[in-house]
Amino acid sequence: MTVAEEDRQAWQLLDEPQEWQVFSQTTPGKPECWSSSVVFEGMHCAACAITIEQALKAIPGVQEVQVSAASHRGRITWKESVTRPSQWMAAAAQAGYRALPANDAHAHERRRHEARQMVWRVSVAGMCMMQVMMYATPSYVTAPGEISPNLIGLLRWASWVLSLPVMVFSCKPFFVNAWRDLKQRQISMDLPVALGMLIAFVVSSLGTFDPEGLFGSEVYFDSLTMFVFFLLTGRWLELRMRDKTAGALEAVMNRLPDQVVRQVGDQWQRVSIRKLVVGDVIEVLPGQAFAGDGVLIAGHSEVDEALLTGESRPLTRGVGDAVIAGSHNLSGRVLVRITQVGAATRFAQIVNLMESASVTKPQVAVLADRWAKPFLWGVLIAASASAWYGWQQSPAHAVMVAVSVLVVTCPCALSLATPSAMLAAAGALARGGVLVRRLSALQRLTEVDTVIFDKTGTLTRDDFTVSSVHVRDGVSPQQAVFLASALARQSIHPVSRALVAYARQTMPAQDAALELQGFEEKSGQGLQARLQRDGQTMDLRLGSAAFCGAPALSSDQLQVSLADAHGWMATFELNEALREDAAAIVKSLQDKGLDVRILSGDGVAAVQRVARALHVESARGLCTPQDKLQQLQTLQKQGHRVAMVGDGLNDGPVLSGADVSFALGQAVPLAQAQADFVLLGGQLRDLLNAWQHSTLTMKIVRQNLVWALVYNLACIPLALLGMLPAWAAGLGMATSSLVVVLNALRLSTNAKQKNS
Amino acid sequence: MDILYLLIPLSVVLVFFILAGLWWAIQRGQFEDIEAEGERILRND
Repeated sequence: MTVAEEDRQAWQLLDEPQEWQVFSQTTPGKPECWSSSVVFEGMHCAACAITIEQALKAIPGVQEVQVSAASHRGRITWKESVTRPSQWMAAAAQAGYRALPANDAHAHERRRHEARQMVWRVSVAGMCMMQVMMYATPSYVTAPGEISPNLIGLLRWASWVLSLPVMVFSCKPFFVNAWRDLKQRQISMDLPVALGMLIAFVVSSLGTFDPEGLFGSEVYFDSLTMFVFFLLTGRWLELRMRDKTAGALEAVMNRLPDQVVRQVGDQWQRVSIRKLVVGDVIEVLPGQAFAGDGVLIAGHSEVDEALLTGESRPLTRGVGDAVIAGSHNLSGRVLVRITQVGAATRFAQIVNLMESASVTKPQVAVLADRWAKPFLWGVLIAASASAWYGWQQSPAHAVMVAVSVLVVTCPCALSLATPSAMLAAAGALARGGVLVRRLSALQRLTEVDTVIFDKTGTLTRDDFTVSSVHVRDGVSPQQAVFLASALARQSIHPVSRALVAYARQTMPAQDAALELQGFEEKSGQGLQARLQRDGQTMDLRLGSAAFCGAPALSSDQLQVSLADAHGWMATFELNEALREDAAAIVKSLQDKGLDVRILSGDGVAAVQRVARALHVESARGLCTPQDKLQQLQTLQKQGHRVAMVGDGLNDGPVLSGADVSFALGQAVPLAQAQADFVLLGGQLRDLLNAWQHSTLTMKIVRQNLVWALVYNLACIPLALLGMLPAWAAGLGMATSSLVVVLNALRLSTNAKQKNS
Repeated sequence: MDILYLLIPLSVVLVFFILAGLWWAIQRGQFEDIEAEGERILRND
């Protein structure tokens, strides 16, 4: 058993901490607990996922196992002190599934091999089916006795020879899976199908070599090869679609380069990305991806962050600007000092979030899984009953009816209906800059009737605008603004930037540079400098009221004052700037019939002003997080479904208390964001996008479920009555799965069109 | 019609030859990226 030995050695390599860290992350709040993402090989249906979960949960130290039947990915939480990856990987292998570390490039190679193998199986089945049908045609088009018995014998023999590779090679996965499940005392969707194939082949073989026997001289090689071909074609297309959907995830995951060029003294050295540490300087050429989060220290370039934030325009980055891992350098050669590597990068956090989302099971899917097993038992019983019932008249016919029942009832479409749609939607949303952390949130979002916004950082931006100017007698507002902006130009404080912007807006003509002497910035107080103008010298101060000796204004707004040698000159009141799209977003939410509210920790007047600007009736200020949670729960008790939109950081408990939560994730450490949806680009319009998409998703989920149910309900009686030949059963089953997956795939194309 | 006794076995053999050809094509990855070959002429490198 050299293969098993090789595997074992490969797994043991993964027991080294630096190796498992590549595909695992620590669980917040639980020391020693790692959650690893893996890809499982050999999975086919929902029942497989349950088998794996049970096998892994039996290992001591494995705390939690989540496996997604749709994406073949899994997440295993295990305790460092009790177990090691090699132990649970061996357990998975024993159950008949190979677990591969998800971040391994190996997984991609495997997938390609799997795809090739699948095409080959389909081709064999297709070629042989065509030829077998040719051999079967004479028996359909001629009267009995028209062809000599010898020739008929030869045609049957030829059909048998060509059905053999189909059975032995093309059908192998069905038999392997069915056998594995039997050994595990499990039942899966492959069992009825494999049973059907085996019965059809045995009956036809007996008809070929023992025409006088129990089943007569009838052969069904044409039906057999045809339904194998249809089934495999269905599986193959399903595999391609799954790869395409998983492609959205994979496109993000495969963005980091394997190697980087690092500076060591005066030299440049090519090293593996795993060797990179914080503080390293690396060179990034145009077209390459950044290997870690960092700061530009030389060069100037444009970067593409589309996959990470949904921002499709290239962004300009110069010396001192931050770049994020996984984004692409577009135009110039730059040097980057690394500030975060590995699991700490924003990129790693995004990937982690996406992975955990792709394995959470929506409620509907859990329900489908629970019903799959009893349903499959029902199928087996119905098939044997129909065979027993028809046995007296014609054993061969009765057996073929049983085969049709076995094939046609496979609830593949039913189990694919929900996860395929939700995964496609999550993939599409991720490309648009919206991360879905819990798939079931897509379902809940459609039931929401109340939206609560936080104010600061959500409806407003982090910068300010000047709202009013107060001046002392004899000073004109223009003059005050002009002088203040001259000072403010020297500073990058948000308030200074607001003053400069205001000056540019109100008097664009006077944008001349003035000569400043002795400029000084006193942190926490303000700016001071000497200014030469029209032969006059002025000592100016700009800053807090105390710093400028200004009279206190009775206002709860942010103020900044200007003073000269004679004392106070002017005071500027500043407003928080609303996000450009806030009003439009709030209006379209209200147009949808949603009740929009604002809850904020800010002063009442500031909150009221924002509420008036946005035409929101219900707004409350001075709320502590507890107040917000209480309000939320009161609303929920009244029967409202509430969505909460916050910055994801200080609203943690409120966000997790809401039915659906959104976090604007531009500045948030993603691992801490408690929200169901994270808007990576920090754009409010992504909220609407998510809303529209979830409505569409649920529509498609409903269509899928209805279609799968109608198909199964309509076909079972037909098959039981013997009105459905085996080939039609195979065609029906493959088509129904395909319809479901194709329908789900509409979700991914839709979002793409919207974004481009 | 005796020729059929030769032709039918021959057709079986022919199918195996065709399958061998398909196997060769698939294992060389000819069906994996069908668009790429057509787009190759538009690329610079």
